[in-house]
Amino acid sequence: MKKVFKGPVLFGWIAILSLILVVGCSSDEEASSNGENSELMNDGKVNGELEIQYFVGGYGDSWWKEVIADFKEKYPDVTVTEHAGPNINEEMRSRWVSGDPPDVVYIDGAGSSETQMVEDGQLMNLTDWVKDVEVDGKPILESFIVDPAKYDGEIYSLPLVFDTWGTWYDEAWFESEGYKVPTDFESFMSTMGDIKEGEGIAPFVTTGQHPYYFLRGMLYPAFGAAGRDQLLEDVITGKEGAWTSEPVLEVMKKVEQMQKEGYIDKGFGALNHTQSQMNFLLHKNAFIPVGFWLPNEMEKDKPEDFKYGFIPSPMQDAGEPFAVVPDLRPLAIAEEADNPEAAKAFVDFVFTKEYATLFSEHTGAIMNINGVDLSENENVPSYLIEANAMINDPEQVQIYQKPHPMSADLETPISNALVSLMLGNITAEEFCQQAEEAAAEYRNSK
Amino acid sequence: MVQSKKQKYLFLAFCLIPTFVMFSIFTLYPLFSGLYYSFFEWSGASQDKEFIGFSNYIQLINDEIIPMTIVHDYFLVAAKVLGIMVLALFFAVALTQLKIKEAPFYRIVFFFPNIMSVVVIGILWTFIYNPSLGLINSGLQFIGLEDWARPWLGSEKWALPSLVIPSVWAGIGLFMLMLMGGIANVSKSYYEAAEIDGANEWQQFWKVTLPLVWPQIKISILYIVITTLNGSFIIVQIMTGGGPNNSTHVMGSYLYEQAFVQYNFGYGAAIGVMILILSLVTVLILQFFMRRERVEY
Repeated sequence: MKKVFKGPVLFGWIAILSLILVVGCSSDEEASSNGENSELMNDGKVNGELEIQYFVGGYGDSWWKEVIADFKEKYPDVTVTEHAGPNINEEMRSRWVSGDPPDVVYIDGAGSSETQMVEDGQLMNLTDWVKDVEVDGKPILESFIVDPAKYDGEIYSLPLVFDTWGTWYDEAWFESEGYKVPTDFESFMSTMGDIKEGEGIAPFVTTGQHPYYFLRGMLYPAFGAAGRDQLLEDVITGKEGAWTSEPVLEVMKKVEQMQKEGYIDKGFGALNHTQSQMNFLLHKNAFIPVGFWLPNEMEKDKPEDFKYGFIPSPMQDAGEPFAVVPDLRPLAIAEEADNPEAAKAFVDFVFTKEYATLFSEHTGAIMNINGVDLSENENVPSYLIEANAMINDPEQVQIYQKPHPMSADLETPISNALVSLMLGNITAEEFCQQAEEAAAEYRNSK
Repeated sequence: MVQSKKQKYLFLAFCLIPTFVMFSIFTLYPLFSGLYYSFFEWSGASQDKEFIGFSNYIQLINDEIIPMTIVHDYFLVAAKVLGIMVLALFFAVALTQLKIKEAPFYRIVFFFPNIMSVVVIGILWTFIYNPSLGLINSGLQFIGLEDWARPWLGSEKWALPSLVIPSVWAGIGLFMLMLMGGIANVSKSYYEAAEIDGANEWQQFWKVTLPLVWPQIKISILYIVITTLNGSFIIVQIMTGGGPNNSTHVMGSYLYEQAFVQYNFGYGAAIGVMILILSLVTVLILQFFMRRERVEY
């Protein structure tokens, strides 16, 4: 028996005891932190600490700073703690995992997924509460440009930012060289042909490291135009037969045509988000599909004579209006928020026309509130005024709505197959087959 | 005597406890945690997790990407071992045995990439490989070889081989210094004896230098294998993100994608366990094949 505590065996015991100690300590910490959480629950008044998590990307953070400062002025008893930055979703992950999340979260940027958060039960069900919220005296549910995403009929987040993916070009360059701005797929191909011939470049670029840019920026509008909301819903939810359906194959044939004509930059597969945008600014390419964040994000790198031009991605057939599929960035309250009253007060506070106007001025993008007039606003960039006018004109643009973002489990394999198609390694038919297989796998995994 | 033995153990325990504690916190605990989570279906972003037994391991066996990532990993291992060892040995011999005046300068030059972060190296080479603005394609065009220019990192065929060059470039210096140390310890008398016996320089290298620096070569190979299997993730993540179309995914980058992009943390943990097992098996096999009696003259 004594041998068990002697010699090298003793050191083994020490190691095991240390391990138990470490595991034990971490369990204690969890318990104590949960205990603290329950004590912090307040009595329904708007006071105490309010923690807000927001991603800072292309839109910057100046709008948030202004809104939060105004909120603090209105609610002086609330102490606001901001968790913000380009990597905030990763930095705050352990807080969410340990059940100690911030109260309010703006869901955007890498490492965030609204669908996943809803599936994990991390977001508060706002369905009943939101019915009483008003924007400038009008029910909020009647004030959105695009309605909130619904999961089994329930609302877990409110769409704050109305972004949409479209196709960008340099308006000044097009004017000086006489290139026509495309209005449909036919004219898109024709303009790309002119540019290829005139400039000796592949006119179209996107990021191959994040192929979902092409999926969201080009294919979603194309699917919307080809099969309306129903087709969008079917491809996003991976419905059986959707990816091999006739309208999807027709869209993919268009992509194949772009590749075969040599209009897609052969190097796109290697480019990341910033590199593809730099290529575009340097006129190595003429068209790029990204969201409204582009001008704000690349402000410091923009050549002086460059003028941003924006059109919804021209994938629709001639005679059809442009198709726009909004990409909404929502604001939500954590299910386990320590201060739900202050969180609700903040969400209520943010959705006003005043802050919507400020949002466009600060970020060059649109907040998801209708009836905001930007046409005479000198602080809003011209491309946004034009885009806003275009988006609000149903004769020019038809808005199609996806039910919710596509799950990463489906988006990743489809994006990978898309790269192969755009590199010319597979045909449109083969792509559809691969996408259908990925959808089948996704359905089986649910 | 008994007292002094007790004191000795107490002293040893006093010295080793901090090490054990640190080892437990930073190695054993994550290791067992990874193993534990590999039996759960868990997004890694919430407290909501479900015990699913060996399902993640069954999925791992049926996953079509996994064999591809293993092949990529071992391709990088083979290319790096070959590239680094040949070049490091060549430069080590050149800088120790040839009377080059600028040897100290070259030593610094070759070692320089080792003090750079892998992230910086990845970004630097991404610029070099850039299809339209990069140094390689521009250089090829300049010397009239524009047909050879291609989207190196954007091609499913060329992306993985393209990752070898920065990996080798970044690794030469360290192993060159290790081998130089080994070569410096070889007594000059062996070379004098070999010369008297009529051995030329090439024969001296094969018969004297190589056998006597074998311990350093063996350690270097093992080190390259371990660091490649566990660490090639960074350069892949920076330069290609595993693309295009999974053509550069290694086990580590696939683990990252599953755990942190697709929110399959439990499955990611199972891939981590697989990496550990494969690394251990590889090292054991290598040690078996590289065992060799110590050469003494």
